[in-house]
Amino acid sequence: MLRANAITKRFGRTLALDAVDFQALPGEIHALVGENGAGKTTLMNVLAGSLAADHGEAILDGLPLQAGSPRAALAAGIAAVHQSPMLFERMTWEENLALGGFDTGTGALDLDAIAARARSLGAKLGFEMPPDGATVENRSVAERVRLEVLRALSFNPRVLILDEPTSVLAPSQLAPFLDLLRNLRGEGRIVVLITHKLAEAIAVADRITVLRRGRVVARTTPAETSEENLAGLMIGEIIAQPALSATPSHSGAPVLQIEDLTLDDHTGRRILDRLSFRVAAGEIVGIAGVDGNGQTELVELLAGARQPSSGKIKLLDGSPGATMAVIPQNRDLDGLILDMRLWENLILARRLREQVTSHGWLNASHAIDLCRELIDRFRIRAPGPETTAGALSGGNRQRLEVARAFASRPKVIVAHNICRGLDLAATAEVHRTMLDFAFGPGRGAVLLISSDLDELLAICGRLLIISRGKIRETDPGERDPQRLGLLMAGARD
Amino acid sequence: MLSSIAKPFAALALAAALISIVLAALGASPLGVFAALGEGAFGSWYACVDTVVKSTPLVFTGLAVALAFSGALWNIGADGQLTIGAIAAGAIGPHLGNFPHPIAIAGILAAGCLGGAVWGGLAGWLRARRDVNEVISTIMLNFVAVQALSWVVHGPLMEPSRAYPTSSPIARAAQLEFYFAPSRINLGMLLAVVLAAVCYLLLFRTGAGFELRAMGRNRRAATFFGVRIPALTFWVMTLSGALAGLGGAVQVSAISHRLYEKLSPGWGFEAIAVALVARLNPLGIIPAAILFGALDNGSQAMQRTQGVSPELVQVIQGLVILIILAFDTPAWSAVREQIFGATGEAAAVPPVAEMPDA
Repeated sequence: MLRANAITKRFGRTLALDAVDFQALPGEIHALVGENGAGKTTLMNVLAGSLAADHGEAILDGLPLQAGSPRAALAAGIAAVHQSPMLFERMTWEENLALGGFDTGTGALDLDAIAARARSLGAKLGFEMPPDGATVENRSVAERVRLEVLRALSFNPRVLILDEPTSVLAPSQLAPFLDLLRNLRGEGRIVVLITHKLAEAIAVADRITVLRRGRVVARTTPAETSEENLAGLMIGEIIAQPALSATPSHSGAPVLQIEDLTLDDHTGRRILDRLSFRVAAGEIVGIAGVDGNGQTELVELLAGARQPSSGKIKLLDGSPGATMAVIPQNRDLDGLILDMRLWENLILARRLREQVTSHGWLNASHAIDLCRELIDRFRIRAPGPETTAGALSGGNRQRLEVARAFASRPKVIVAHNICRGLDLAATAEVHRTMLDFAFGPGRGAVLLISSDLDELLAICGRLLIISRGKIRETDPGERDPQRLGLLMAGARD
Repeated sequence: MLSSIAKPFAALALAAALISIVLAALGASPLGVFAALGEGAFGSWYACVDTVVKSTPLVFTGLAVALAFSGALWNIGADGQLTIGAIAAGAIGPHLGNFPHPIAIAGILAAGCLGGAVWGGLAGWLRARRDVNEVISTIMLNFVAVQALSWVVHGPLMEPSRAYPTSSPIARAAQLEFYFAPSRINLGMLLAVVLAAVCYLLLFRTGAGFELRAMGRNRRAATFFGVRIPALTFWVMTLSGALAGLGGAVQVSAISHRLYEKLSPGWGFEAIAVALVARLNPLGIIPAAILFGALDNGSQAMQRTQGVSPELVQVIQGLVILIILAFDTPAWSAVREQIFGATGEAAAVPPVAEMPDA
């Protein structure tokens, strides 16, 4: 049995965990649910030895675990899969797994043997493995998570803790993944699943522990609870989900028109294959797809960060670049410069940069005023414009990105996985903002690219599917997640 | 802000303490040695001026390095760029005798700028268009520049008598004159200070400077928001080279008046330390350069009166830089995270995904 006794952990003035008791039994899947910042990940880090708690102890089968030592936790049989994959970007996947338990321990590095063992385990789990010798930096997020899961399982752990592993999986991959967790449970292991997807927790967990602001607020089972009930426990009050009107009244004239957009990478591999679609004023168009099917490249083309091999991106209203705002999927890598100030991050947007620059001179006080105004308007929790972006929480970083997109008064907003890693309240808020943008008096056009089908079904009028660099429009009436999931996975029809 | 100024001095004090231990172990009197060092660097009007003379090339090259480093362009080639600038100045200098003084000065300095700009721009072009790592290209171009200088003073630019491996002296009109002679105060020093201010404004008060800093902090995000990385890379390296080349031209015009081998004692390399001590802030370059210039200048007095080898000054310099870097908060915390993993406050914010620097 895995027990955490009265774990307390403080970061500066923030109390991340407040005397948390937690128990998980062998042969059970234990879901740990809570909002962003509830302390789920901190608890995992304490259990996995990445963090030392201020008070309290973790005990596995009666033996106290050495605090703050991942090595000791691994030796005791606790393996963790982290939310942002902890992989070595420039190394091959085989080399990455060499740090796991596939190693023979003889001291000699036998990558072939490691790869063979990884493949056989992967095959058992139904994982598609990357090509031989592929470096991690070019792999999709889903592939990275699979590699992390493989690495964790290679230790043959008694306890497996997974931090939001499903947020990057396509619907078609979800069922096999949950089956995998059930298999691990069947083998008598302890599986701790950290998630904020409540349906998932109810579907797969035996018991559920709910954290809110560093405290355990409920211990329950799927039979005793419901999604609504859990959501209420997590947030502390039931927020009435606004009725989202997914179907626009009628959309206006096309604003963004993509014609035969094609991109080949430097090896000549086709990444995007003659994409054609349009987005009109007053509509939200979704592009659903499993990560790594060309979405990132499409967003880069739309942002003007790279040039297409052929084809056109046309803004039918105004000049290109000036009226489109792009919110890239990776806040911390593409969207923000974490060690720059908030106002500096704001003027990364070309339109805003031009606004506060005259004759080449930067008017910083102008930018700071604008930033202060946006902090208020978008309720970004930050001490002020001079704060660095890295000091903000994930949800507030996303608010900053959304605020920046809106501030440049675009006709089109392109957003890629904008709600990934955000909790319910933050997600609802971002969706609300997008809906207001599209259906409000400004009648904006929104292109929402996401691997989260539920999100797209909730707020998109039209839905496109991208798979292996090709795009297809779905039947407007087609709203069945399972069928759409099959299309995302590449099924012909 | 205050702490960023105070830190280098605290580091200097710690270095001095360490050096005292070394000196005491060597049997020398630490106080006597430091007194001689101070005396040699700032003990008289002439010592002060000489310190500034020694600092001037470090300001130019330090600014060159700081500008490039701000954009995460690792220009290790300020020495080569300064050398090519000096060659250009030394080549045109003897032929400016018929021009009025201001025009001749403008001509010789422009030649230096141009020479350095070509050398820096070449590395910038290689990076922007051919993806050649600028660390490699600038180091290689340093070698070429050193040999080019050696060749011109033995060949095409050798003085007419062919007795010495130096070039002909530059025309009087092209010489930056000394004020209050025999002190060596000259307008090159003023130019260095003005350029430091200009670089500061460029970096922190213009849109282009912002784009440069954004590129330096996060190249991917900068790309995403429409910063034209290749063009910026080329122009920054060109400008960086021009600054270093101008430093070479000022040296020729004001001090050496001719070319000879080993004109630069390694200013371009010392500049990296100067720029880092100044934490890439152009205004910080001036005190940082004077610090290094004073150590250079004072070392001679130290050797004369205390019998301590001037090499010890290099030991002091090395220790100062190491200690500053070790106590520099951002750098230190980054290093600490690399080795020990995120701890304490750092873990409260979500971990930043590993960032490829290309």
